[in-house]
Amino acid sequence: MNQLVKILCGLFVLLAGPSCLYANDHADTQRVNALLNQVDDLWRGESSYAVTSMQVQTEHYTRTMRMEAWSKGKEKTLFKIIEPLREKGTATLKSGNHIYTYLPKTDRTIKLTTGMMMGAWMGSHLTNDDLVKEARLEEDYDATISFEGERDGQDVIEFTLIPKLDVAVVWGKLTLTILAESHIPLVEYYFDEDFVLARTIRFSDVKSLGGRERPTVLRVVPADKPDEYTEFVYEQLELNIALSDRLFSLSSLKKR
Amino acid sequence: MNVAKLAARNVYRNSHRSMVTITAMAFACAMMIVFSSLMDGVIAGSERNVVTMNTGDIQIHQAAYRDDPDIYKLIQTSAPLSEAIRQAGFFASERLFASGLMASDDSSSGVQLRGVDLLFESTVTELYQHLMQGDWLDQTDEHGVVIGKKLARLLDVTLGDELIFVGQTADGYMANDRFFVRGILKSIAADIDNSAVFMSNTMLRELIGLPESGAHQIVIMRTDRKQDLAEATDKVRTLVNQAVEVMNWRHLMPVISRFLETAQVQTLIMLFFTYIAVASVVLNAMLMSVFERIHEFGIMKAIGVSPWQVIRLVYAETLVQTVIASIAGLILGSCVAWYLQLYGLDMSSLAGGMSFAGIALDPVWHAELSVKSLTMPIGFLFVMAAVAVIYPAAKVALMRPLDAIHHQ
Repeated sequence: MNQLVKILCGLFVLLAGPSCLYANDHADTQRVNALLNQVDDLWRGESSYAVTSMQVQTEHYTRTMRMEAWSKGKEKTLFKIIEPLREKGTATLKSGNHIYTYLPKTDRTIKLTTGMMMGAWMGSHLTNDDLVKEARLEEDYDATISFEGERDGQDVIEFTLIPKLDVAVVWGKLTLTILAESHIPLVEYYFDEDFVLARTIRFSDVKSLGGRERPTVLRVVPADKPDEYTEFVYEQLELNIALSDRLFSLSSLKKR
Repeated sequence: MNVAKLAARNVYRNSHRSMVTITAMAFACAMMIVFSSLMDGVIAGSERNVVTMNTGDIQIHQAAYRDDPDIYKLIQTSAPLSEAIRQAGFFASERLFASGLMASDDSSSGVQLRGVDLLFESTVTELYQHLMQGDWLDQTDEHGVVIGKKLARLLDVTLGDELIFVGQTADGYMANDRFFVRGILKSIAADIDNSAVFMSNTMLRELIGLPESGAHQIVIMRTDRKQDLAEATDKVRTLVNQAVEVMNWRHLMPVISRFLETAQVQTLIMLFFTYIAVASVVLNAMLMSVFERIHEFGIMKAIGVSPWQVIRLVYAETLVQTVIASIAGLILGSCVAWYLQLYGLDMSSLAGGMSFAGIALDPVWHAELSVKSLTMPIGFLFVMAAVAVIYPAAKVALMRPLDAIHHQ
């Protein structure tokens, strides 16, 4: 599940941490890297299993679904829908740069092509591209600390992440704010290529989950539709568990 | 002196030279007829592709739909509205749209679903008979869909192949169903070729979970093609009773409308150049036929024929030749144009799948014979011949008889 968490949290940022070490030969670099790594460690594991509910609120509908998710390394993620009943069994497999979806109604597995990457994932405010890109961000961004101190009564650190010149990323800039003391992420802003705010992800409800204090609610709000959101609530999270590679194969998509 | 009789006799006497002149003019005339009818045909064909294949004359949308199309922007009570439009003497049909992903065995692509009213769609567009392969939609085959030409290639599917649609329903759930390729369309317009999947209105409504009534678009066609488009649009506007947008295709697609208008101007320019080439042929033939006979005209003048009579004679001869040439040209040109109207000129080897401003041009060019494309070249031929002989006729008329007689 940590993959999903990362996507959702915009752990893009955090993954970019290590690369900063090499990008800047600055005194701060060590620290930026250490901090981002710490945040990173909140979610990262060699493998994970999670149960999440997703609530999507749009102008036209509100819907809730629950899903299970497994991840192994950075390249492999599997989602399966548990509820609602009419979509139960629908599964998404991310393997490297490919996304496959299994559809129980027609009993077919389809592969998403590049043209569909900007389409909504499961009717949410996330795109298929978010699922694929997440593993690559490590190489894609340069990070710096852009603010440190008190903001809204909290001691925070703000990172600014700029995509490296030679990579194709849909965002122009990201900023991530974490609590200075606990290093728990608070909010992440995504800016488009013209540096206009495109979406916001807020982290809240810090609870002990999977043996650690971490935010359990992530809310994605598109900037152009402030009344809409997609909210993920983590119900269960296990990190570093033994998962077989076979779980992430096309044949296991259909099971259950 | 009987000018007409003399002219006819002269033309007949110099039969060889007359034949050359007449043949040149007849050929030029035929060429102009073929060219202008072909150009008319290509323009009319593009317009037909735009209007009768997809857009229709007039469309109605919910006011904000065209700026930002989404499945929730429906024309409410569209059924009674289109019925009222039909009562008022138009053809009208409702359409629904939705987008999503269509996957075949090996590939997938974003598509636009186009739900059409099976009962009325064939009254507003000719899509149903513009199929490259297979058949048009049928009520009895709900899951049989008709897809665009390039989409079929992109998905690598042929008739009968399975397609899986994945999209989103109006209430946010997953829309998913299995379809079969029932027909593949010929080239129509870029967006249709690349992404259109046609199915019945009812199927799309069920798949996407849209309300029982309402449509995204009402397409309207004039029953009388000669009725003024703007007038018809105004008439439809008086029939609507809600906040909807009524627009005719010239306003819906200003770029294409303008393109077709400029194409007409372009045709005129090209015709002009063709005509200039033709004019030089005619001029050459006329100069030849007069200057060859300066000696003869000199003798005529010497025996008392006045300059005015000489001019009249030259003009009469030209008239005789032009009349014969235009009849021959008319027969030849209209035969060729008629053939091209029936069978077309296949340009696909030169320009396969041409398209301008999103309209696909049929690679087979069909001519379109009209009174205009027949009379204009003939009228032009007469004017051209008349202008061409001014100089030789005047020169001969003004020459001194003795100089003319000794002219070599």
